[in-house]
Amino acid sequence: MKLSPEHLVIAPILIPLIAGALQLFLDDRGRKLKASLSILSTVALLAVSVLLLRLTHTDNEATGGRIAVYLLGNWPPPFAINLVLDRLSAMMLVLTATLALSALIFSLGRWHKAGVHFHTLFLLLLMGLNGAFLTGDLFNLFVFFEVMLAASYGLVLHGSGLLRIKAGLHYIAINLVASLLFLVGVALIYGVTGTLNMADLAIRISQISEANHMMLESGAAILSVAFLIKAGMWPLSFWLPATYAAAPAPSAAIFAIMSKVGIYVLLRLALLFFGNDPDFPDSPGAQILLYGGLATIGFGTVGVLASQTLGRFAGFSVLISSGTLLTSIGLVQTEVTAGALFYLVSSTLAISALFMLIELVERGQNMAASVLAVTMEAFGYQDEEMEDEEIVGVAIPRTIAVLGTCFAACAILLIGLPPLSGFVAKFVILSALFSPDITSQMDIIPATSWWFMALLILSGLATLIAMSRSGIHTFWVLPVDTMLPRVLFIEILPIAALLCATLVLTIQAGPVMRFMEATATSLHTPQPYIEGVMNAPRAAPPQSIEVAE
Amino acid sequence: MNSENLLLLLILLPFAGSALAALLPANARNTEAWLSGCITITAFAIVVYLYPSISAGEILRNEIEWLPGSDLNFTLRMDGFAWMFSILVTGIGFLVVLYARYYMSPEDPVPRFFSFLLAFAGAMQGIVISGNLILLAIFWELTSIFSFLLIGYWHHNTAARDGARMSLIVTGTGGLCLLAGLVLLGYITDSYDLDHVLAAGNTIREHELYVPVLVLILLGALTKSAQFPFHFWLPNAMAAPTPVSAYLHSATMVKAGVFLLTRLWPVLSGTDEWFLLLGLAGMSSLLLSAYFAIFQQDLKGLLAYSTISHLGLITTLLSFGSPLAAVAAIFHMLNHATFKASLFMAAGIIDHEAGTRDMRKLSGLFSFMPITATLAMVASAAMAGVPLLNGFLSKEMFFSETLGQHSGSVLDSVLPYAATLAGAFSVTYSIRFIHTVFFGPKPLGLPREPHEPPHWMRRPIEFLVLACLIIGIVPGITIGPYLHTAVTSVLREYTPLYSLAVWHGINTPLIMSMTALIGGALLYLMLQNYLAQSEDGPPGIRQLKGQRIFERSLVTLSWRWARWMEDTFGTQRLQPQLFLVIFIALIAGCWPFLGTDPAFNLESTTGMDPAFAVLWGIGIACALGAAYQAKYHRLAALILMGGAGLVTCITFVWFSAPDLAVTQLLVEIVTTVLILLGLRWLPKRMEQIDDATTLIARTRRLRDFVLAVSCGGGMTLIAYTIMTNAELPETIAGFFLERAYSEGGGSNVVNVILVDFRGFDTFGEITVLGIVALTVYALLRRFRPAPDSIEIPEQQRIQNDFDDRHPNRKVGETVHDYLMVPAVLMQWMFPFIILLAVYFFLRGHDLPGGGFAAGITLAIGLLLQYLASDTRWVEDRLRILPVRWIGLGLLLAALTGMGSWLFGFPFLTSHSTYLEIPLIGKIPVATALFFDLGVLLLVVGATALMLIAIAHQSIRSHRARAIESAKTQEDD
Repeated sequence: MKLSPEHLVIAPILIPLIAGALQLFLDDRGRKLKASLSILSTVALLAVSVLLLRLTHTDNEATGGRIAVYLLGNWPPPFAINLVLDRLSAMMLVLTATLALSALIFSLGRWHKAGVHFHTLFLLLLMGLNGAFLTGDLFNLFVFFEVMLAASYGLVLHGSGLLRIKAGLHYIAINLVASLLFLVGVALIYGVTGTLNMADLAIRISQISEANHMMLESGAAILSVAFLIKAGMWPLSFWLPATYAAAPAPSAAIFAIMSKVGIYVLLRLALLFFGNDPDFPDSPGAQILLYGGLATIGFGTVGVLASQTLGRFAGFSVLISSGTLLTSIGLVQTEVTAGALFYLVSSTLAISALFMLIELVERGQNMAASVLAVTMEAFGYQDEEMEDEEIVGVAIPRTIAVLGTCFAACAILLIGLPPLSGFVAKFVILSALFSPDITSQMDIIPATSWWFMALLILSGLATLIAMSRSGIHTFWVLPVDTMLPRVLFIEILPIAALLCATLVLTIQAGPVMRFMEATATSLHTPQPYIEGVMNAPRAAPPQSIEVAE
Repeated sequence: MNSENLLLLLILLPFAGSALAALLPANARNTEAWLSGCITITAFAIVVYLYPSISAGEILRNEIEWLPGSDLNFTLRMDGFAWMFSILVTGIGFLVVLYARYYMSPEDPVPRFFSFLLAFAGAMQGIVISGNLILLAIFWELTSIFSFLLIGYWHHNTAARDGARMSLIVTGTGGLCLLAGLVLLGYITDSYDLDHVLAAGNTIREHELYVPVLVLILLGALTKSAQFPFHFWLPNAMAAPTPVSAYLHSATMVKAGVFLLTRLWPVLSGTDEWFLLLGLAGMSSLLLSAYFAIFQQDLKGLLAYSTISHLGLITTLLSFGSPLAAVAAIFHMLNHATFKASLFMAAGIIDHEAGTRDMRKLSGLFSFMPITATLAMVASAAMAGVPLLNGFLSKEMFFSETLGQHSGSVLDSVLPYAATLAGAFSVTYSIRFIHTVFFGPKPLGLPREPHEPPHWMRRPIEFLVLACLIIGIVPGITIGPYLHTAVTSVLREYTPLYSLAVWHGINTPLIMSMTALIGGALLYLMLQNYLAQSEDGPPGIRQLKGQRIFERSLVTLSWRWARWMEDTFGTQRLQPQLFLVIFIALIAGCWPFLGTDPAFNLESTTGMDPAFAVLWGIGIACALGAAYQAKYHRLAALILMGGAGLVTCITFVWFSAPDLAVTQLLVEIVTTVLILLGLRWLPKRMEQIDDATTLIARTRRLRDFVLAVSCGGGMTLIAYTIMTNAELPETIAGFFLERAYSEGGGSNVVNVILVDFRGFDTFGEITVLGIVALTVYALLRRFRPAPDSIEIPEQQRIQNDFDDRHPNRKVGETVHDYLMVPAVLMQWMFPFIILLAVYFFLRGHDLPGGGFAAGITLAIGLLLQYLASDTRWVEDRLRILPVRWIGLGLLLAALTGMGSWLFGFPFLTSHSTYLEIPLIGKIPVATALFFDLGVLLLVVGATALMLIAIAHQSIRSHRARAIESAKTQEDD
């Protein structure tokens, strides 16, 4: 068999599909076999993704990086579907595979036994995610969204239970509406442009007639609503914290990247379609992303403070992260985009780790104890007299110590404190906002930059308050009288691994940021991408027919 | 080793030690102490070793590239000022470790303590020698985090937890502000490098962003140094173990704030804003905290307030902006560190040996611990500013500085008096500290019998007190050169002439000092009796506690308001969410058309066939009826939806799209039947809804109605416009029509699109179908019928009653028989349906049909079997394993696609030919056929799986009913 590296591009879609299909032939009782198959395929996925990432790398940082185009069915672009691998999609693939591997290992502790077909659903979710990151076709994107969503419906309901079913059905209802909007939007865009290929769309959009342009805008706007629902922009985001909190831990851990799919698509399409338009930063679309993103950070901040359980807290952290990214996209500046990409990776890793950690932490507690009620008593200050108690410290059991360390690391990441990557991410965004290159173009620092800075800091502060509140409650107050949670090594391992990844991200911040800057530059100058796709050669076409251009 | 690497080592050593310390067993007190001691003394030695190059005016640098794109590098930089602070951090660090070895109880889990302490020392060292502003902010936040962990070390104690949290929130917030301020500072100067920033003083002071930058940086520095109005966290942090207080809250962490102010003094000071903001904060801290300190009953509380007050003195000095004042500030930082650390340690010894820190219980301890008492007395005297001790020198400098002109306002004339008053207060609390604890009658009712501490526990204090004395008596030859190195590195060419002599002759500052000494002593005499019994806190405003205000506003802001805002700006209910989504989509779809002239191309409606119009009229009526009936009459709504679906189907036929028509018809059948089967398990209709008739409910329904009509209308308009678009672009459809046969090998273009051109979409969609089926199965497997739906349906009850009334019939016979004729027909149809499916499948590539249609046809065959007889009957005879079918379908589709790799083509590249089969003849065979077979298998499997999942509910409900009746019998 001739297996050129070209075919590697489709491997992130096929590996999970084949593994997921094979799972269906294995008996549910043979869990070891199923688990091994899943792990094996996810490891392969990670390896392939890393290979692909290296494939996009060129020594010359200034150029847009290499683009690999895979023509499905060997049809010439733009008529059939193609997959496009560039820096951004390769980065997302690696991130997905990393989260997937850790969530999967975590699930082997107990969760994969909580219902049927967990492994298949999980693997097919990966297929959907990878497909969405790779595809270069708008309708095919819809298909992979559906794959991803359908699998996520199953994963959210995995393990059953009243709360989960309720939140899950809400999730399904909202996302079905979103899918409908997606379809309407795609239909409208196809109706006025006559094509579905993203690169071809980018070309045709600039040539469209005045009358059709309105229709195109309408379609793009409806499409964006669908993506914004997925990304969780306020006020389309109320389903998100409830769903993520109710989902079983490994599902929630991989869902951390699902909300980023919406972000990814917005970033890719907005810049591909309108990136060449000098008026785009002032267009209503960009403004909505900008102000909507700011509102989302605000709402996430409020929600983080008002959360009574850690699950909801983590859900609102997802909103803060989404809001930050949306605002960054709305600013349409290369430097900010680069910072946002770093932030995306860092916050996704942190949130994913947090979702898994929360389940471990709350395992030992009964529900009533873990619900935090912030009253005056909970905030202390009742002791006017000095406590003359015997002062000898309490040794912390090893499990709690490990969990506590991980919790602190998550908190540090989400608040944006040093030394982990959350700080670097926040710093690079702030630094880009106030970099002289940008402000010199505009003479003054725009008000939105100030708002963004204020909200970034306030959201960090709110997270600090909320995390210290529940961290103290969980690790300093409770352990005295609660049972120790039974935690397996394979459950703590993936959390630690994700947190270590953020540490690596911090130490290697220089090279990583160079990569992000290169990625952002190629996103903001989409011409090489468009040309790369449109001129992609077919593999030795049948001789009788000439390729029509 | 060269000095660059030594700088790096200064940072790495403590952190490495911290990691090591954390791994030692819980009872390794001595090992921990040795480890920490070695590390701190090594660091101290390194700092000392570096002195020659520093004193030569050299600035040591070590730059490691980290994030050069954003100008954030790991730059370490040591000048004279940083060197002086490094001595404090490492030297006092070592003394504190020594002290802590004896202070901590053998039962305490000390690895955590020493680990955090070392990490803190590393972070503090980092602040001091950071050469990059952002790096400084990083270490800054690290000290906040480790100080939080250290204060909360005894976390079983409420006070420790509260104190830790408060300090974290206050200093953490300050740190975030500081980061913002430093980023802006970097923006102004175009660099975060300290040397670069220090050289840009005029640019900074003249920049329009100077005030925001100043405010943000001051927020950071003042919270860290516990300056008014952010001072309240420090007294609460006294719940920490005493070594922590001695290290963090006297010598290091709180000094970080004034360190930063001094560091940036050359570029930020000298403006009115600087003087006013900093001066006010400093003077208020100096005066108020000195006053509060007098009325503390807790020894450490007194020292905490005194620390705030002394830091206020330093802040005030820095605010003046004159070089001489800066010299005094730097000198006082040094002096305060020495006497305050020793006093904290003394307080710790008293607490340790007497068992309490409450000054109302302590008295007359001099006879029990004379050496400690003497040491404490000297240190207190230094704190009070008694001549011949180091505190006196810097305080004199302070007094003389207050006499100068600063802003030319009324503040100038008030300053000297306020300073003298604060001096008097500090004398009062110093005397109180000594007199109450060590003199007076023998103590009664102490928890322990007090005695001298172990010798080595006292050593650190002895050393520090000795330093106070030596510096106080011969400052010029002891501290002079080191101070000068520090001063020149900050002030550079502005370094003033100053003299460290003890005696400057009789001048105003000396008179102020004497006034303060005498006034303070008198004040103590007046208050002595009151203080012996009074409650904690200053009289009158005892209730006005910063801590309480902080907690209360925190609860209000971060809890009440947050929850209120979450409720106001969010919802957890589904209906409002859906309303919002659809409403926003409507707005999004409409905005591009706002303000434009709606011109619809209505010409194309003229040539409409009346029959088609009637057909569509029926379809529209069905759709409207379905929506109208959906809430209460699900069955009717379902049937009407079927009607609308049929009209769609006929429309496809009308426009010559038989493929779509066949598929649509089959899909309609399957979905309708599956929903029909599911209807049985839906909850019953609620006859009464409480607020159905209220005005609000009516308005809400009206609102929803309007939205629904607008959306529907909008969709109609958009669809119409698209379909009648005059400027239709050239679409990719042309390519498909052209190439379907020549390259796709099929004359049925729809099928070629489905399995070839866009086969990858089909590939994804069958996966979706498979996933949905698996999800339905997984969900329903655990599903138990709701109580209100397990009872036998009305129809069956009537039929059973009929059986009951007729003696020759058995109960259940009617139910079993009433579909007899259709059931037989359905069973007989089965082979024919299979044949039809095969037919659809084979002809698919050229004529209407294909894998999807065939699959659904086959599934309908199965469905009919389940309808005709009961579940058990079917499953006894027909064993299908739908999950395997799904798996097989997916694999087949994937493998077909991958087959093209063998020939070097991309995934799903097809190849077609004609195959001669005996009897049947020539049939087209494309590789797409195998792909289509995969589709077929999957569709059958998925439909069957859902069918079975629903069908099995009725078996469950039999069981549920049995259990229910058994229960009621028991109850009877």
